Amino acid sequence: MAFADTLRALNNMKAEGVIEEYAIVGALAIVFWTEPVATYDLDVLVFLPSGAGPLVSLESIYHWASAHGYQADREHILIEGVPTQFLPSPSKLADEAIETAETLDYQGVPTRVTLPEYLVALYLQPEARTAKRRERVAMLLDWRGLNRNRLDAILERHGLSL
Amino acid sequence: MGSHSESGTGSRSRPSAEFVAKLRQGKDELRRDREVLPLPEKIRQVIELQRLQYPLLTRQRTLASWERPWEIEP
Repeated sequence: MAFADTLRALNNMKAEGVIEEYAIVGALAIVFWTEPVATYDLDVLVFLPSGAGPLVSLESIYHWASAHGYQADREHILIEGVPTQFLPSPSKLADEAIETAETLDYQGVPTRVTLPEYLVALYLQPEARTAKRRERVAMLLDWRGLNRNRLDAILERHGLSL
Repeated sequence: MGSHSESGTGSRSRPSAEFVAKLRQGKDELRRDREVLPLPEKIRQVIELQRLQYPLLTRQRTLASWERPWEIEP
């Protein structure tokens, strides 16, 4: 098993219509943009296919996982050795994060990764604020590659502040 | 590296501003070096961090079953 296999599986889920779109978020997105940080799981924001009904269910994802021999472990699915958590987009901010994700290459596998400015904004949501996330915000704010104009616009649009 | 100076209260030796700035610069350079690593190398380092952190975390709290070092290739 290799990390690229996990990423390939995400693309397969999209190709098979299990999810409409996805974007990696959380610590592993930070790793893509900046430097390695300790984490034990892969967080993925997803759009479920339209017509899935008003009540969001991950049943189709669990069904797909089972069909491919991936074990579910509470809220995670072990995809090619990587505990992966799927979160259907819960907000307009998350919608934008998915829509604007950048496609990066990982050993030949195109991988959709949330832009760093959206990572900061997602961490700044009141319900998401924890000490660890504040630390990650600080890390991203220190990063020279962060587009402050883009971040400011996102924060203003969604009523968030640093 | 011996650019210390006497400053502040009492006789405690303090590093000069230049010395502190040099340390910070070194830290920034280290971060920049890590930022431009190839992605597979970054993932290898994530797995290494997991292995280092795991025994410490197990002593601090009960871990979820998925909180363990990945047994994969980067």
